[in-house]
Amino acid sequence: MAVESSHVTADVIEAMEFPDLAQRYGVRGVPKIVINETTEFVGALPEDQYLAHVRAAVEANGKNKSQ
Amino acid sequence: MGLIADKDRETIRAHFTDSLSDDVEIVMFTERESPIIIPGKQPCETCAQTQELLEEVAALSDKLKLTVHEISTARDQADALGIDRVPAFVFKGASRGQVRFFGIPSGYEFSALIADLVDVSNGTTDLSEETRAYLGTLTEEVNIKVFTTPT
Repeated sequence: MAVESSHVTADVIEAMEFPDLAQRYGVRGVPKIVINETTEFVGALPEDQYLAHVRAAVEANGKNKSQ
Repeated sequence: MGLIADKDRETIRAHFTDSLSDDVEIVMFTERESPIIIPGKQPCETCAQTQELLEEVAALSDKLKLTVHEISTARDQADALGIDRVPAFVFKGASRGQVRFFGIPSGYEFSALIADLVDVSNGTTDLSEETRAYLGTLTEEVNIKVFTTPT
């Protein structure tokens, strides 16, 4: 997604190397995805469901004014 | 004998030959081993191995280039990229947004690394039309963190 949009930054974080981040974001299983610090889910989801989480995070933040 | 097995090395080289279009620079931030022990400061356990792995990957295509910065002397560049810990690296290429890796990209992350290099080189992904259309409407910043483990 970050490749497709200049508004997206994607961070791939090795949880065991950075236990402080893993703890801060409550990582108990992987892959764990956190979007805009607010929306989170665990597991590899099909693309449409993944996108639904991104939409939810954007809308929850009231950020995407064009929607 | 490198970190990447010979067989895998040839597979990746062929994949890069088929798939890479534009040049990609891998910009890595590291911390060199200090000859002195600083109380309270943990040495970077995977920095050297991450650099070695990225050197091996970059050597598999002449379209890939690796630049390594010592974070203590490249703080401004690291800050500009939002990098506050090591090992970390980003890709400079045809990507619109920024992809950052924190920690050694081994295990599942290694295949993500190879796939991301191809996407960044091409400036495209195999995401659906719907996803790409939605991403095109974004006007505010979206940050996606993906936590992984090596196995």
